[in-house]
Amino acid sequence: MKVVACLKAAPEAEDIGTRPDRTLDLDKAAWKIGTYDLNTIEAARVLADETGGVAVGLSVGGPALASSKLRKDALSRGLDEFVVVSDEALADLDTFQTACVLRDALAGIDGVDLVLVGAGSSDVYAQQVGNELGALLGVATLNGVNKVTPAGDHLVVERPLEDAVQVIEVGLPAVLSLTSGINTPRIPGMRDVLAAGKRPTTEVSGLSAPAPSTDRTSLLAVEQVERAHRVVDGDTADVVAQLVDYLNSVGGAR
Amino acid sequence: MSLGNAWVVLPNPAAAAGLARGARGLADEVNAVVVGADAALPGADLTVAVPAPPVGALAEGYAASIAELLQARGAQIVLLGADVSSRLLAGLVAARLGTSALTVQGVAVEGDGLVVSRTAYAGLATTTERPAGSPAVLVVAPGVLPAQEEAGAGRVEHVDMAPAPEPLRVVEVRPKAGEPVNLAAATRVVGVGRGFADEADLRLARELAAALGAELACSRPLAEGLGWLPTERYVGVSGATIRPDLYLAVGVSGQVQHMVGVNQAKVIVAINKDKNAPVFGQADLGVVGDLYDVLPALTNALAR
Ligand SMILES: Cc1cc2nc3c(=O)[nH]c(=O)nc-3n(C[C@H](O)[C@H](O)[C@H](O)COP(=O)(O)OP(=O)(O)OC[C@H]3O[C@@H](n4cnc5c(N)ncnc54)[C@H](O)[C@@H]3O)c2cc1C
Repeated sequence: MKVVACLKAAPEAEDIGTRPDRTLDLDKAAWKIGTYDLNTIEAARVLADETGGVAVGLSVGGPALASSKLRKDALSRGLDEFVVVSDEALADLDTFQTACVLRDALAGIDGVDLVLVGAGSSDVYAQQVGNELGALLGVATLNGVNKVTPAGDHLVVERPLEDAVQVIEVGLPAVLSLTSGINTPRIPGMRDVLAAGKRPTTEVSGLSAPAPSTDRTSLLAVEQVERAHRVVDGDTADVVAQLVDYLNSVGGAR
Repeated sequence: MSLGNAWVVLPNPAAAAGLARGARGLADEVNAVVVGADAALPGADLTVAVPAPPVGALAEGYAASIAELLQARGAQIVLLGADVSSRLLAGLVAARLGTSALTVQGVAVEGDGLVVSRTAYAGLATTTERPAGSPAVLVVAPGVLPAQEEAGAGRVEHVDMAPAPEPLRVVEVRPKAGEPVNLAAATRVVGVGRGFADEADLRLARELAAALGAELACSRPLAEGLGWLPTERYVGVSGATIRPDLYLAVGVSGQVQHMVGVNQAKVIVAINKDKNAPVFGQADLGVVGDLYDVLPALTNALAR
């Protein structure tokens, strides 16, 4: 089975600064493949191994995708090859734009059986790219998939809803959005890192996105509530006494 | 100010049933498409009732027909809930209408159009955006739109639709054992994180919560991944947003993705054994200590 894992690079949230005027400072933030995209790579690798197939990474985005460190990182986590669509004009796309470019990029990859998408990107977490991509491709589409088992010419998947778990047979091709609990991504070892350097990355150019679905009028850091920032440390009986006093003073204790 | 119409779309009658009452604040006319409806949706003027999907099929299979109906009727705003099925239906319908399904934290009508707010950068920031085309397709979690009183005209129209012949078949539905969770209503919340080494140790947090009259919440890894607590209990950018009087974080590091779900709490107290944990930077009172020592002593002291 040929499995494509869709990946998105995003700036590391811990390293994003906020200025007094509530604008963001992204200068120190390194761009990384999304945390939950690592589950997608892992799922693609496992399915490819179970079916004697291949796992292909596919990413659409801005200049951050040019980084060879980022590419090697993705490859070292279990991809056989990586297809990258990187263009200044493709930075900061919304979900429908992303889905359109992914559809066009997928048209250039032969014999795709299954497209996997993560639980949500590390920056926007809209949880919609897979759903919209599936509709554009006109193939079987599911979100919230927590387990995928190959069964001959189809898959059997588990999809937890709020009050029940659905077990669904899915014909191929299909687009599945996964949960972040579906697996534990492997941590690449020295051998994986070395092997990653030899695996191919294909650049795709000339793809463009439709107009955005919204006009953004502002982007501001969330306003912080003032906090007292008192810290107590030391002997347990002592800190607990202070904690109880504090809870009483704010009406938190019963 | 309001727009001409809003359409609420529900994959089953129980999904986000309060949406129609909320939609009234945005549009003069509130309509609904409800899969499997046998009655008018409370708050809607018109309920288009679509038959429940045949056994083995998903309501999401109606997406193409629903998109066509919305277009034919000139929908201006399309609203869906934030549950798993509604989210899928939202994306499937939106893509067929040539637009993004937008998960919104806020929505209002300004001038002749909609203004929505959304989170960005893992919850660090908020955007305001104006949907460019019509209709706008919005995913709306409970509590985002204040419910309006108006009952709606309550007309029902039955429309026959067949789900698309999809290569999908539901072969089993297993009920999920669950306890009702109402974090939003809780005035005190004890939030637990990966500082707990073992599921059984959550007993310490449950006992503390009982002594405080608090609800139990958690960080995402405890729900997704470890599976120690139901997903309804995790707070943060991808989970619940709460505003309790007291949030007591125990063994939680305080990553931005978690804290945006609780940063409007009146008082934040944190217990963590690492004095450099980011959670202390966002707490009113921080206790540097091992939860395995502090929690039993605290529960004891509160019980006295
Ligand atoms: C797209 C995206 C969305 C996300 N959404 C959410 C979300 O909505 N909600 C959420 O919570 N997370 C979310 N996360 C995950 C988030 O980034 C963090 O990984 C997570 O919140 C960390 O959980 P934690 O604090 O329990 O664990 P850790 O970060 O591992 O922290 C555990 C803490 O426990 C302390 N500790 C350990 N032992 C003890 C002890 N004996 N006594 C006292 N303290 C102890 C440690 O010092 C540490 O600070 C998201 C991540 C991504 C990428």
